[in-house]
Amino acid sequence: MRHTPVLLTAALTLAAISSGLVPALGQQPPAPPSWKQGQPSELADSALSPHAQPPAPKAAAEIPVDKIKVPAGFKVSLWASGINNARVMTWGDKGTLFVSSRVAGNVYAVIDKGGTREVKTIAKGLNLPNGVAFRDGTLYVAEIHRITRMDGIEDKLDSPPPMTVVYDTLPKDAPHGWKYLAFGPDGKLYFNIGAPCNICLPPDTHANISRVNSDGTGFEYFAHGVRNSVGFDWHPVTKELYFATHARDWLGEDVPNDRLDHAPRKGLHFGFPFCHQGDIPDPEFGKGRSCGEFAAPLLKTGPHVAGNGVQFYTGSMFPPEYKHRMFLAQRGSWNRTQKSGFRVMMVTLRPGDVPKYEVFAEGWMQGDGFWGRPVYTQQMKDGSLLISDDYAGAIYRVAYQR
Amino acid sequence: MLIVGAATATSAPAPAADVEAGRRKADACGACHGPTGTSSIPTTPSLAGQPPIYLHWQLMLFRDGRRKDPQMTPLAAALSEADMADLAAWYAAQPPVAPARTPLTAPQAHRGRTLGEQFHCFACHGAALEGREYAPRLSTLHVDYLTSQLRRFKAGTRGDLDGTMTSAAQSLTDEAIVEIARFIAGAPAP
Repeated sequence: MRHTPVLLTAALTLAAISSGLVPALGQQPPAPPSWKQGQPSELADSALSPHAQPPAPKAAAEIPVDKIKVPAGFKVSLWASGINNARVMTWGDKGTLFVSSRVAGNVYAVIDKGGTREVKTIAKGLNLPNGVAFRDGTLYVAEIHRITRMDGIEDKLDSPPPMTVVYDTLPKDAPHGWKYLAFGPDGKLYFNIGAPCNICLPPDTHANISRVNSDGTGFEYFAHGVRNSVGFDWHPVTKELYFATHARDWLGEDVPNDRLDHAPRKGLHFGFPFCHQGDIPDPEFGKGRSCGEFAAPLLKTGPHVAGNGVQFYTGSMFPPEYKHRMFLAQRGSWNRTQKSGFRVMMVTLRPGDVPKYEVFAEGWMQGDGFWGRPVYTQQMKDGSLLISDDYAGAIYRVAYQR
Repeated sequence: MLIVGAATATSAPAPAADVEAGRRKADACGACHGPTGTSSIPTTPSLAGQPPIYLHWQLMLFRDGRRKDPQMTPLAAALSEADMADLAAWYAAQPPVAPARTPLTAPQAHRGRTLGEQFHCFACHGAALEGREYAPRLSTLHVDYLTSQLRRFKAGTRGDLDGTMTSAAQSLTDEAIVEIARFIAGAPAP
């Protein structure tokens, strides 16, 4: 409860003391659950709230893959199913696909057996283990409170090695505490430390993208004012960082936009909590600040769309114009009456111009409902593209047929 | 924009579940949770009418060691995914029954409701604390169970799917825990 405005805190404390509720002076009134935090009083009865994650994945027969629409020449198939809460995908050196989850607390290994895929749970009971990254035989796993490593994991899928701590000097806040994790071109591990709230003035330790050496030394903040980025990648040529950010809730149906950002160097500030989508000052925290102080978004990606996975395409299967395009998986909205997102977008960078922004895959949303939530992508060796769906617990493969 | 979530207006799909199979599988559970999921043991929760998603996730938390209990941990370890779905579906389908009430005094009821509002209990558990999705029905739980769980959430020792309740309990004084539990358990029947 660090960020309730002083006047409100004082009023609530006085009211509580006068009614005999608060045993000691200085007791702070509690924060609402973070999804509800920042909700204006006139929306207190809003029916909108986050979609619950189902406890079990959908059976293969219940997954309507044919509903997923892609451009002409592309074909979608169900590549793997039964992977509860499947999220980030990363390749091992020997062809194992490692898959993370969030609330399910598991990390999986998926072994391609030609026509079928075998799924093994290699770690369970973890603290929202969204981040997985692989290098030199070692799998790195990011939970809320720590980054750990599993050495030689690909040879030990049936008796996984212990998880050895790499770095654990991390905040333990649950809201936006789950992490994306990836190796940068400098060999460092990059991850987000999200704002511990919907909207607040976060402590200096939060709302950033950080990096640390793979041995746990040399921690530093890389980007500031980032509410929560759970997907990023580096341009294959310039090696510069691009990342997606989820914007705050309860400011409106159509604002603010989520953003796609470009951080060509360390130390930039991207505006949170003072300015949203580059041009909307926060009604509370934006007072006395200007959006011009902060790095503007490269692209406004739509309100409440929940952009997660960001990945540059480097394969040769797709048509030539796809080279170095970015895929942006949007898990979809909850804080919007008319749902938005639930699709995979593609972003084509254009020097000196706003990027071209088009739908690549959609169909998880049907009418007012949805049956799946695309959340991350991963390129296969042959240049086809995997898309994970944490709601259906599945992975799709998109291939191009010449 | 997902924040740590608690509940939703859109129903998540129920996993393929067999209610009748759940009834048979629940035989072993009845000794503590009651034959139709209404417990007469103060420290054991009533399961009748709980949201199926909540029940299923809790069994998974026990199985995976994220929620610990001397009785439940070994029982959950022996359950398959289908067992969990079936049990959750059967208990969810049983009519909720409130335990015997100790009537609240008017000041107790007022204090309890004020605390419940101040601590945002109704935001996820519902206006009548009837529960939805991740958030259990509180209105049928015993005061002793409610008190012990709130104390454990505050201590960080009660498994929590996404951290929402652990966060919520941090600013509760023990006096407030007792007041809130007494209010919930003493509120009118659902």
